[in-house]
Amino acid sequence: MILDIYKDSLEYSAKDWKTLVILGVICLFSFLLLPAFLITGYNYRVINNAVHGVINGRDPLPDFNDVISMFIDGVKVVIVQILYLLVPIIIFLIFALIAMQVNGFASSAIMLIGAIITFVAFVVVELMIQIGLCHMAYNDGALSKAFAISEIKEAIDEIGWFKCIATLLGLIIITLVIFSVVSMIIGIIFSAFGFSTAVLGIDPTGIFVLGVTVNFLISMFIVGPYLCIFNSRSIGLLYTMQV
Amino acid sequence: MPSITDCVVEGLKYPFNDIKKLLVFGILFVIFDLLSLAFSLKTLDITRIVMGTLDKTNATTMGFSQMPSGDVYLAIAILIVGFVISLFIMGYQYNVISFSINRKDDLPGFEDIVGMFIKGVKYFLVSFVYSIPPMIVAFLAIILTTNSSAWPVIIIISVLLMIICYFFLIMALNNMVAHDSLKKAFDFREIIDNISNLGWGKYVGTVIFTAIVFMIINMAIGIIMSFLAVIFAATINNQAIVISTVLSIIQALFVTSYCSVFFNRVSGSIYRESIK
Repeated sequence: MILDIYKDSLEYSAKDWKTLVILGVICLFSFLLLPAFLITGYNYRVINNAVHGVINGRDPLPDFNDVISMFIDGVKVVIVQILYLLVPIIIFLIFALIAMQVNGFASSAIMLIGAIITFVAFVVVELMIQIGLCHMAYNDGALSKAFAISEIKEAIDEIGWFKCIATLLGLIIITLVIFSVVSMIIGIIFSAFGFSTAVLGIDPTGIFVLGVTVNFLISMFIVGPYLCIFNSRSIGLLYTMQV
Repeated sequence: MPSITDCVVEGLKYPFNDIKKLLVFGILFVIFDLLSLAFSLKTLDITRIVMGTLDKTNATTMGFSQMPSGDVYLAIAILIVGFVISLFIMGYQYNVISFSINRKDDLPGFEDIVGMFIKGVKYFLVSFVYSIPPMIVAFLAIILTTNSSAWPVIIIISVLLMIICYFFLIMALNNMVAHDSLKKAFDFREIIDNISNLGWGKYVGTVIFTAIVFMIINMAIGIIMSFLAVIFAATINNQAIVISTVLSIIQALFVTSYCSVFFNRVSGSIYRESIK
């Protein structure tokens, strides 16, 4: 079933390259702060579509209309993420404070235990964030539903904790693989060009600079948005797996 | 039932319904901003002159008659005019809340100037009364604890009190506007009834959410403005006052007016949701 999710999401994200370019342009301007929220808002819309759709259904990619509500959705997503992520941060800070009080071997032991607990908390919280966002989208965007912990826990129980964590892990691996493969291919092509010009006796610096630029542009305008949509779609579909 | 954040979306779209009126409202803010800029320049001048005189005479105090009288009177006049303008601004905000409660989709006009002024006075009075308790506490903190170490606690209490009062103030203003009577702003039973009707968590959450959106918009505009300032500063040399004037005019005309209409629209919708 997990493979079905990946297959559907990979196809879904590749439906319309214009969307990817538009997302890339928004990403380019995200240093102006407002566009950054538009990106998270668009991801939320993808989740929303996925949550209300079915696997292998013919859902279209969401439009870019109604920018203001997209912005508000993005703000909601960011608020949910920050509030959840406060939990592992606070746990870590508490352990760090305790470790500062004692010295010697006990200090590093406490720090180690603290780091492990923080990591576990981080994984759980990350799962809660993703499923919580889906739960929020499923309930017409009520912000309180993103923090209805017992309901979210029920949803995760029904999907299965192992399955959820496996899906997230798979997402991370696929993201990293696609990213590195694409940049590797471009890198190989341009270094081949560069070395051949160097053999011919021409200065190859320009070619390498061009290669880095092309790499950057492609990962910003095509690969980055593609992976964003892919991740959101997968999480949304994962939520629909509950019985 | 739709989510309460839809109110925020609606409030953000609302000012675009009639850009002309928004700009007229923005002009009020421009006048206010220019006046406050002039006021700070004047006070700077006065301080400079005072410091100069003190330096020359080697005195530690000086009488009022020694102050540059023309400048002082001008500064006071600017202050008063600015206050009157801010009363008009508050009156317009009163109208925005009233339009929001009555579900009118257009922006309020500027025909009834006198009525706007009176409403502004009401708005100001209510805001002033609600800010008295935290002011008293802060005042006590300054007077009582000049030498002791307890002042941070009292300052924190005062800030908390200010936030609590602010939450009540929003509902009190709505209540006053809805019934169009000053008395209703201090009818605590009805205010608390309204809030618990909506749910305390939901009320506080919505207000905080609106405030966060407000801050994000202002931060984003601040970033854009700082870019503009850098561009201006690179092209025009030695004209800091001109640059800051131009930037503050732009900001007041488009941003401050927009944000103010947005915030008051949302607070009116909160009231509308609470009496449902």
